[in-house]
Amino acid sequence: MILHPGILSLTINSLLTLATVLYAGWFGVGILRRWDLASGSELQLALERRTYLISTVVTYFLFFQLTSLFLFVRTADSICDLFVGAMCAVGTLTVNSFGFPTLFLKLLNFILAGLWLIVNHADSKGYDYPLIRVKYLFLIVLAPLILTETLLQTLFFLRLTPDIITSCCGSLFSPASRGVVNEIVNAPPLPTLALFYGVASITLVTGLRVLRTGRGGGLFGAVTLLFFLVSLVALISVISLYIYRMPSHHCPLCILDPEYDYIGYPIYLSLFASTVAGLGVGVLSRYRGVESLFEALPLLTRRLAAMAVGGQIVFLLLCSGPVLLGSFTLRPA
Amino acid sequence: MISAQAITKIFNQGRPNEFRALRGVTLDIRLKETTILKGPSGSGKTTLLGILGCMARPTSGRVFLREREITSLPERFLAGIRRQSFGFIFQQFNLIKGLSALENVMAPAYPLGETHGELKKRALSVLEMFDLGHKGEAKVEWLSGGEAQRVAIARAMINDPGIIIADEPTAHLDARLSLEFMEIMRRLKEQGRTLILASHDPLVYDSELADRVFELRNGELDTTREPHAPGKEPAEAVEPA
Repeated sequence: MILHPGILSLTINSLLTLATVLYAGWFGVGILRRWDLASGSELQLALERRTYLISTVVTYFLFFQLTSLFLFVRTADSICDLFVGAMCAVGTLTVNSFGFPTLFLKLLNFILAGLWLIVNHADSKGYDYPLIRVKYLFLIVLAPLILTETLLQTLFFLRLTPDIITSCCGSLFSPASRGVVNEIVNAPPLPTLALFYGVASITLVTGLRVLRTGRGGGLFGAVTLLFFLVSLVALISVISLYIYRMPSHHCPLCILDPEYDYIGYPIYLSLFASTVAGLGVGVLSRYRGVESLFEALPLLTRRLAAMAVGGQIVFLLLCSGPVLLGSFTLRPA
Repeated sequence: MISAQAITKIFNQGRPNEFRALRGVTLDIRLKETTILKGPSGSGKTTLLGILGCMARPTSGRVFLREREITSLPERFLAGIRRQSFGFIFQQFNLIKGLSALENVMAPAYPLGETHGELKKRALSVLEMFDLGHKGEAKVEWLSGGEAQRVAIARAMINDPGIIIADEPTAHLDARLSLEFMEIMRRLKEQGRTLILASHDPLVYDSELADRVFELRNGELDTTREPHAPGKEPAEAVEPA
């Protein structure tokens, strides 16, 4: 294991987050089995008191969970010099077989943790704990994912051996790569761009409809998920080429480097944050009928929709800048 | 109606110093009336007042305020109800030393977000209701016992609550100040406010102001006697058939 501040920070905080979420998940089992607001029993009142504290503590740790995705990539990027052949975070992540699975799980947990925070916030707006079962069920699902992520991350860090020969991003994200990466890298640029802007337009229209009328949240959530997936494909297959101004460099993580003005951070932050907010709109739309949320939910949904649409617009502007304004072109001379 | 259902309160539960302050207390308090909780020291009056006024949560049992269950409410909702519905007068007054009388009266209203100027004006008018307008800028430690008591009442009134809760309000007052306090309470009752007073002072529980007197003993409501109006002997409770 390499004693790097980022690695130590990620390891300690992941273990603390895991301990908190596992305890909260165990407590959640009790909530699912015994919660009865109509009862004035000692057990029920104890559950009411403890859920307030546990939700607050879990909220803080899941906020860390959100930031840990970026810290993980930043750490991988900052130690790539230690590995022969590594040019960026991708090289570090391929040092052993746990790097990319950890990254994918962190991405999934980023979205799920964000959604949990939204559900928890909505629950706190109701006087009768309207979403308490939903949020603890959600936490019970999230706990094993965070456990797996912590295990994978620990194994990844423990098996990082300096001076190991690894692959650079140029070979991993090249037209000769295999599997899904090959499909993405070799996706035809112009149709991919057309699909990207087409889905973006639909997403923005449905988002603006939620903002204007407060309706269509479920559809907006679904379209946001589609936009997220299409955006990742478009970023790797075509937008990255415009950012790097190279016709064959598809790395999704080099854009986080200083050579590209750290443009990757605002790009990914706006995409991930808007995705969480958009999916949150979709999730909350299922609870429009809850009486104690009649007042708070429409306002919260619109705020989330505004965040999602705002984030998507920022993301589109950041991606479109190099495509529309840069000197690089994919058209044959 | 404020309805307490099977309220139990245990302090330090599961520890060697566990103390059961209330044991399944059930009672109904009618609005716009004066209710007295009577009983010796340690009988659970203060604990029950705290629970009725949303300042503490019971270990088990529920409290309903105007048919709305309030003990399960998350703290942010409970704080709102406490602020808008209840005014508290504490046994030791609990005025904040170092602050002026006016600042003490204004303190409970700060979270409402009213502008400072408007709040100050309103607090001064409340102080004037109790003939303390000229003492607004005086530090509370400079006030006499009677003045401090009236500042405490003014503070309880700043959010215009419908229910006034007072815990042993005459315990530290001489007879003249106690009578003065009861006179203020009478005026508040005439305004349509609900008064809940915990006291073992005969001047309070035998007062004509009292509509109902509940007796507490060892954390339990004395069910051998019906709640009674002062001046009348409490009737023996009728055993259920």
